[in-house]
Amino acid sequence: MTVAHIDDLFSPSVNQDPHAYFARLRETDPVHWNERFKLWVVTRYEDVVWLLRHHEYFSSAVIKTTEAPPYPPVNPEDVPLYDEIRRFRADQLVEKDRPEHLDMRKVVHKYFTPTAMEGWREFVRDAVTELLDEIQPTGRMNVMTDFAAPLPVRIIAQMMGVPYEDRDHLRELADKILWANRGEPYRLRVLHEGMQGLIEYSAPLVEQRMKQPENDFISALAEGEKAGVLTRYQVLVNTALLLFAGHETTMNLICNGLLAFMRNPDQWDRLRADPDGLARLAVEECMRYDPPVKSTQRVAAQDVELGGKQIDAGDRIRWIIAAANRDPSVFEDPDTFDIGRQPNPHVAFGSGIHYCLGATLARVEGQEVFRGLAQRFPRIVLETEDLEYQPSLQFRSLKSLPVRWEKEKP
Amino acid sequence: MTRSLRVWVDHSRCVGNAMCLATAPNVFAHNANRQSEVVNESGDTPDTILEAASICPTSAIHVEDAETGERLFPAS
Repeated sequence: MTVAHIDDLFSPSVNQDPHAYFARLRETDPVHWNERFKLWVVTRYEDVVWLLRHHEYFSSAVIKTTEAPPYPPVNPEDVPLYDEIRRFRADQLVEKDRPEHLDMRKVVHKYFTPTAMEGWREFVRDAVTELLDEIQPTGRMNVMTDFAAPLPVRIIAQMMGVPYEDRDHLRELADKILWANRGEPYRLRVLHEGMQGLIEYSAPLVEQRMKQPENDFISALAEGEKAGVLTRYQVLVNTALLLFAGHETTMNLICNGLLAFMRNPDQWDRLRADPDGLARLAVEECMRYDPPVKSTQRVAAQDVELGGKQIDAGDRIRWIIAAANRDPSVFEDPDTFDIGRQPNPHVAFGSGIHYCLGATLARVEGQEVFRGLAQRFPRIVLETEDLEYQPSLQFRSLKSLPVRWEKEKP
Repeated sequence: MTRSLRVWVDHSRCVGNAMCLATAPNVFAHNANRQSEVVNESGDTPDTILEAASICPTSAIHVEDAETGERLFPAS
């Protein structure tokens, strides 16, 4: 392989099968300078964990501090929209460093404690049942559009405290915000419409919760404004963040996990034999094996050595969850999908101070989804092998996942 | 008199989120792996320690009543 090829991060073959590509990097050059895109690519488990736990060296304020243009390229007339989108995203919690990050995280943390999220299990289970009851008689579904995308929006809408009659509107906005992750050159228009629409929709809700707090996360953010931690703009952009972060990632967990099960029917049979007992471990293995988020970025805040390489302040860094999760020095038979795997210290939710705020919710959703599917469907089969992924370095997101199911033979 | 607690961190779960250090800074500190360690079980009030345990995103912090052995966190 030539150097040019190893740096072709966005090639269709890498997007289709990131695991093979990143395994080669992890074996040959685990802290790799990608000359073509001018960034470091970190693939070894140990280096990824070290990086994430040493946030003082690696800033999360990537959008604010880097001038890289959107990739894949966008229509030139949409570039002004990009500046506005950058401003919007730069005020989100995930793009903040300490001390600001800690103050903001404290505002939302109380809402997202593991105990509080466990309290949502019954609601999640009912939502799964309701959606599957509608779909099951048809004998087939596009998992992405019929199930994986609508489910998390239903849950987030409830957490936001959105009135029932506004659910469809929220779902439309959520679907537009998902365009952040697509490749079409006109995608920023749709994304911008979604962001604007969500700000316009949320503004009166925030105003109302400022006066009369309820038990929802907009009220938690509004409390942050009252305490002087968040501006009104930050309340609004972080509402959008929670909607997006809980939507994109959960739908990928459902689709990527179900695909892994369909390609490993022995593991499906294993889950079906004990859905209550195995759902928890199975979801961890789905998260490890084909993670919803493939990689995320940092910017070096100071000069730092990592894996024997000298990284300079200001350098961009991509840490590859999908590669760390299959590092053979940590995971035995890393390319095998084994739903009984234990321990399973994957980094699909990150590590350190930015560890996924919604991790417990994602786990509850994943557990209820795979438990619910396993209890209903003896066998789910793919309707096509021709599967395409969104052209994204960050997300592992199928465009579509058509399946059908068979009834158990008497 | 307030009750005394026994507190420890399960390192197979701790991901170094550091919310415990921010909440109960006199009880928890990071070790060389950037995982949480208990440095003083009575450094902060029992309520503060229980709050730190409850906001840990991986429920890695265990809290017991030192006298009775009653498990106070996690619940199960």
